[in-house]
Amino acid sequence: MKTSIMALAAAGALAGALAAGAAVAQEEYVVGVMSAQSGYLAPYDMPAYAGFRFCVDEINAKGGLNGALPVRLIVKDTRSDIAESVKVVQEMLDDGAQFIVSSADADPTIAAAQITAADGVPTMTFAGTAPVLTQVGPHVFGSYPADNQQAAVLADYAHAEGLRSVWLVKSPDSAYTLGGPEYFGEAFEALGGAVLGTSLYSLNQPDFSAIVTTIKAADPQPDVIVTWAWEPDFPAFIKALRGAGVETKVMGGDVLDTPTVRGLGPVVDGVVHTSGGFPQEGSAYADFIDRFEAATGVVPDNNYYVNGCDIAGMIEQAVAAAGSTDPQAVTAAMAEIEDGEGVMSDFTFKGTDRMPLREVVVARITGDGGKEFVKRAMADPATLPQP
Amino acid sequence: MAEGAAAATGFPDRGAAPLASLPGRVRASNAARTAVCLALALAAAAALTLLFGRYGERIAVQMCVNVAAVVALGAFCGNTGIVSFGHGAFMLIGAYLSGLLTMPAALQRTALPELPALLAGWELSVWAAAPAVALAGLAFAAASGGAIARLAGASATIATLGLLIIVHGVALGAREVTRGSQTFFGVPRATDLAVALGAALLFIVVARAFRESRWGLFARAARDDAAAAEALGVDPRRTRFVAWCVSGTMATLAGALYGHMLGAFSPASFFLPLVFAQVAMMIVGGMTTVSGAVAGVLVATLLQDAVRQAEGGFTLLGVDVPAVFGLTTVALGLAILLVIWRRPRGLTGGRELGPGPGARLFAGLAASVEPAPPPARAVAAALEAQGLSRSFEGVAAVADVGFSAPTGAVTGLIGPNGAGKTTLVNLLTRAYDADAGAARFGGADLLAAPRTGVARLGVARTFQNLRLFGGLTVFENVLTAALAAGRPRARAEAIALRELAAFDLGALADIRAEALPYGARKRLEIARCLAQEPAMILLDEPAAGMNPAETDDLAARLTRVQAERGVGLLLIDHDLRFVNRLSSRIVVMNRGRVIAEGAPETVRADPAVVEAYIGRGRTASHAKLHTPDQTEGETT
Repeated sequence: MKTSIMALAAAGALAGALAAGAAVAQEEYVVGVMSAQSGYLAPYDMPAYAGFRFCVDEINAKGGLNGALPVRLIVKDTRSDIAESVKVVQEMLDDGAQFIVSSADADPTIAAAQITAADGVPTMTFAGTAPVLTQVGPHVFGSYPADNQQAAVLADYAHAEGLRSVWLVKSPDSAYTLGGPEYFGEAFEALGGAVLGTSLYSLNQPDFSAIVTTIKAADPQPDVIVTWAWEPDFPAFIKALRGAGVETKVMGGDVLDTPTVRGLGPVVDGVVHTSGGFPQEGSAYADFIDRFEAATGVVPDNNYYVNGCDIAGMIEQAVAAAGSTDPQAVTAAMAEIEDGEGVMSDFTFKGTDRMPLREVVVARITGDGGKEFVKRAMADPATLPQP
Repeated sequence: MAEGAAAATGFPDRGAAPLASLPGRVRASNAARTAVCLALALAAAAALTLLFGRYGERIAVQMCVNVAAVVALGAFCGNTGIVSFGHGAFMLIGAYLSGLLTMPAALQRTALPELPALLAGWELSVWAAAPAVALAGLAFAAASGGAIARLAGASATIATLGLLIIVHGVALGAREVTRGSQTFFGVPRATDLAVALGAALLFIVVARAFRESRWGLFARAARDDAAAAEALGVDPRRTRFVAWCVSGTMATLAGALYGHMLGAFSPASFFLPLVFAQVAMMIVGGMTTVSGAVAGVLVATLLQDAVRQAEGGFTLLGVDVPAVFGLTTVALGLAILLVIWRRPRGLTGGRELGPGPGARLFAGLAASVEPAPPPARAVAAALEAQGLSRSFEGVAAVADVGFSAPTGAVTGLIGPNGAGKTTLVNLLTRAYDADAGAARFGGADLLAAPRTGVARLGVARTFQNLRLFGGLTVFENVLTAALAAGRPRARAEAIALRELAAFDLGALADIRAEALPYGARKRLEIARCLAQEPAMILLDEPAAGMNPAETDDLAARLTRVQAERGVGLLLIDHDLRFVNRLSSRIVVMNRGRVIAEGAPETVRADPAVVEAYIGRGRTASHAKLHTPDQTEGETT
């Protein structure tokens, strides 16, 4: 009899624990994170994930989303492999993910979004900037200023500086290296500028002498050269260009906002590029850097960290606005956010195709390895080049 | 006799299965090996699905798609020995074409507004699109194969890499069709477990059937020794072309499968990372076999997914193990290094998994093919050369050589090292082009024939340095020769059995040629020659390296075969006792020229011959031309 009572008590305790567990499970918000920790996307996904994790931890330390709903992360490495991405996003949905944060590129984001479309689970890319990636469905969101926004702000700046002709250097090998210069050209021509010529390169092309020779021989000479080339292509290009004695102004996309490019010295002195944000003294961004460094010992040296943090904030604001964790409700709420508060910059989804409208910073590299703030501007949605 | 030979060579006694049952046992073994490949894939997919539910099912889907792709890759690489990086191009074509044909029309109009009308609006099912995809793959393989098949070894590998780069570049540029470097999306995700597993099993069956087919044998023969294959009439280029077409078509379908698994992709999805991963899987498993391709994919998949579980961190016995990402890549890299170190031929060791024809499992199979009777005696004809000449860098290796060797007789061709004997054989068989002169057999102009056409004119040869198809079994070596002579399969098998029996190779029939002892290799090369039922055989040092007993045995067999079939033999050897014993007539060469010819006793007494062998100033009485000379090395 005594044994039976004890057994009943144990069973009751177990049932209670299970019920409590179920209650806890219902009171958490599960976010699946596809993060490439190796491969070509790792340089973007790793800092973005670090910033995201840091701010999620901060949110959880305050009781969770809006102080009430703890966030549980399911993090899976995609190895920058699209097949692996497809597999892990399905696993995360199986494990109850209510929101998916995908890699910083269009391919895995779109592949994932086609899978999350079935249940309308909101899906946001870490830092994908191709404007087309939200075309897959109404549940897909960007987080970083899109290529066309960056290009439009940069074109506006160039035109305001009195520059009237441009030479575009682009690579068809990626949507980013191709799209950025093309959007710039379109916006620049709309402002009255002229595209004098275009040169194509291949990713990881070791020698840019042919392109440099073509530009040097152009008559008339362009006022500015614009490229969305990244490393190691941009260093190879700028060295070849300056080595050939071509001193034409050079402008580029946010991918030039790296310590490596700034460390190239005199050849990049005066190069102007876009950026998602700038940690001006006293800004929320500067405060984020201090907090992150104090907690981790690492100084965030690019915008992916802070943008990752902003994604945590976007989720929090969308859940708050939805008043629910229902995927469709969160998706709808996210799409209606206007002037949401961000650390890198504020953001607006309302009235966009869910690539957030955010301020774009224009910065100039200095010859001593630093960068200086030039301007901060918001692209005009009415005149944005369309993907 | 067979068992005795097996014991003498150190190989295990393969039982008392009669030689006549060998073709049946080979077929049964092939079927069993195919079944093993199928069972491997099935078991892995079933285990994953049953043990891990939906989670395991997704791994199984990816694994099966990889099995299909790697088996397709292996159909070319394994059979030709050429590592291809170009199969990513086929996969790209398959994925994009199938995507275009199956995409919802409304989405297509939005995503691809400038798509050419020919490709627009089909909205087919995946199954309806598959034949068009396969045909496109075949057409592209045929178009590119003409160039790829001309090359071998590293050159061909580089060419396949070039093909991948070209197709990748075209896909990036064809923005109206592919969206360029932007993501191509909206492809129906139709590759579920049933489709992926079905495709993997089908590909395994097709690859296994191709490997054991006539063309598969030819390709593997040319892979192992192109010169020997050509001497049998097998055109290595054609075999590579056929393998490329079969493999390319399969890879195109595998690409469609992959595309329908992803749902969205870009040209980068089919570029080097994918191709390197698939080549690595193939090499880890074993490049030359279908079971190697299957095993490679299984091991890589299971290893990666097992390690992946630990990457995100876990709790073990109350201890929190932190997340350590990148372990999968490290684990796969270590596995590749380990395999290359411990098993250079891959996990399967270059052999198809499963029982061989000598397995006890098949010992009870009834005789299915009786050895063929001896062929009809060769018609009277003669191998004739007039004024045949060839120089290398100004040095005359063969100069104005004329001689005649009839069928029905053994003609010896002797001479000291560097006399030009092997060069002469190479000229007669078109391995070298002659600078001048003429060569005929039975009225046919040998020098006008292509290198692969000499065998069809009735002239076969062996090589001074053994040229066997090392990766093929003894039976396959001989069977390949009979098939290359145009015999139907059943007839070729009967002929192969006859020659194996004639040269006491029956007990070694399912041993790979590269594993044979030297004497057996020599006998196999002659048996392979005879399987073509030639009228004239050029034997280049058939007894070199043999001990006296083996030489005597070979002499007896050659004498018997020659007498029975009336075939003509042109016998080159440094063992002059051996040559004298067999030959009714001897031609002597020195420094590229014929210096004597006639009956053996006449030649032996010729001062010019004596001088050629032992030098000026010696007398004929000192010349012991009948003494075996077993210390000779390479000749020209």
